Amino acid sequence: MSAVAAKPQAGGAINPTAMAVGVVLLIIILGACWYVSPNLGLTALIGVIVGGVLIGFGTHFVPVGGAPAAMGQAPGIATGVAMLAAGAGLAGLFGGAWAAELGTTVAVITGGIGGGLMMAITCMMVNFVYVFGMGIPAASGKVLHDPITGDSQAEYKSQGTEGHGLPFVSFVGGVIGGILAGAGGTLIYLALLDLYKATFPTMMGATHAQVLPVAVSVAGMFAVALFLVNAVLTAYNITGTIEGPHDPKFKRWPRAIVASAVASALCGFVAILIVVKLPM
Amino acid sequence: MENIVFGIGITALTGALATVAGSAEDTESNIGSQGDPNSQVQLAPQMGFLHRIFNKAVAGEPPAYGLWCALGAGLAWAFMAMQVNAILAIVLGCILAVFVQGVYATTAYLGRTASLAKFGQPVYVDIIKSMTTVTMAHAFIAIFCTVALCQLINGALGHPFPLPLLALIWGIALGAAGSATGNPYYGKERQYQNQKFGAGVPISASGNIVRYAEAGERNSIDNGFFTHKIGGSASGICFGLIVFLEIWRTILFERIYAGWGAIAVGVLMILIFTVIDRYIEVWARKNYGPYTVAKEADA
Repeated sequence: MSAVAAKPQAGGAINPTAMAVGVVLLIIILGACWYVSPNLGLTALIGVIVGGVLIGFGTHFVPVGGAPAAMGQAPGIATGVAMLAAGAGLAGLFGGAWAAELGTTVAVITGGIGGGLMMAITCMMVNFVYVFGMGIPAASGKVLHDPITGDSQAEYKSQGTEGHGLPFVSFVGGVIGGILAGAGGTLIYLALLDLYKATFPTMMGATHAQVLPVAVSVAGMFAVALFLVNAVLTAYNITGTIEGPHDPKFKRWPRAIVASAVASALCGFVAILIVVKLPM
Repeated sequence: MENIVFGIGITALTGALATVAGSAEDTESNIGSQGDPNSQVQLAPQMGFLHRIFNKAVAGEPPAYGLWCALGAGLAWAFMAMQVNAILAIVLGCILAVFVQGVYATTAYLGRTASLAKFGQPVYVDIIKSMTTVTMAHAFIAIFCTVALCQLINGALGHPFPLPLLALIWGIALGAAGSATGNPYYGKERQYQNQKFGAGVPISASGNIVRYAEAGERNSIDNGFFTHKIGGSASGICFGLIVFLEIWRTILFERIYAGWGAIAVGVLMILIFTVIDRYIEVWARKNYGPYTVAKEADA
């Protein structure tokens, strides 16, 4: 087939075989975890997987315009997908970890709100710079009308560009993305912290109070690492830039959910294996 | 009560440090063209526009600042474990981290510019000599302020994460906030100063960056001077608000209803920023107006 005759690749098609392989891999990893640690380990792994999926899904909401946005050539925030999601989610993790002693529910919601707040401030400041620093109004390149406010978009795009700034739907998408990413990161941290707090005293022959700083540090490092794994994985799914939930690329999220679940399961399993004795 | 007053004082100090860090980070990245606008600095020689702009972008700002801040904090932590005074330890740690940043900046400029040899872009040794130290100075301010605020959060406010992990987290957040807010101002307003004000850069103009100044060729210190006034200040306010409000709501309201008070205040603040954002958007639409008539655009 010549290049001319080849079908254009949308890049967003869902491959059922790959999805099925992903689900099978996920089940195998869960089974392996159940075999080595049926109670504590499996509970922690499920927490890690749910957290990873939340990060992967949340990253799709974050409006990222990359290099074109830095020249006012495309809407979104002028930075990378993974980096912005990581910045917001880690700010959430910071708050969530602080609230860990108040219980899982409060800590996860606190983490989510921390991520959402970071994104709300950042998105507001982005529009501030566009409007008051550069004299450019916000306009979407993907829809004719903002799905939330109904504002028309096309006539506010300057000549030769695909839009610029953050229309309201992108702002809302950014906040939702920050909330999901922050909550996901905190959930991973709490799942691993509970596991390490329970297993480190026996493993190290020390008291709970002595192992707590080590448990917090190791769980925190794994949470940051898993965060970056899921954010980068999702960035590959988005391929470059995305305007938010109204962007056609948003429909690719099922792929990222499966990929994030498998990647989180594998990484989480490694995080569990460092404290669990293998049944020989 | 004393604890709360002490906490508010520390919170205010961290907010101030974060504001300075954000501002210095954006200026440093603009002098080094490290944000997304680096694509234009790299593209310009390929389009026939040779320039004397410094370009040290081989990583995004968030991972780069995550590395430098974690490095500075890790070394400071080690010095503190050796019973060195905390302030001196942070200064020493940050100085060592800045040397890594200097090596990074030098090799990045040489590598990126050498790759453009086939388009006739020279590697200017005087640029390395004059620009690298300026970016290092700004990087020191950004890293020092970030590590210092992490030390305050860890030591004075009692956050459970160790200092290097906190610095990694806030370093990444610093890079994310700085690049998000500051990049458009450098990319559009400075690099494309020859384009119309109040409009995005047409895609057809890509690569045609401004290369000449009032006298002679434009250099990156001029860019830092220009962008610091709005892009740098906005980045500083952005990161300062993030750090201040996140800690402020925790310190003051976390004890109310076992953590739900801080959550409620967080939601309220998100709603307030949403209203402000919407106001800015509507204000721009009303005052600047559309570029074309609506019917034509829809067609």
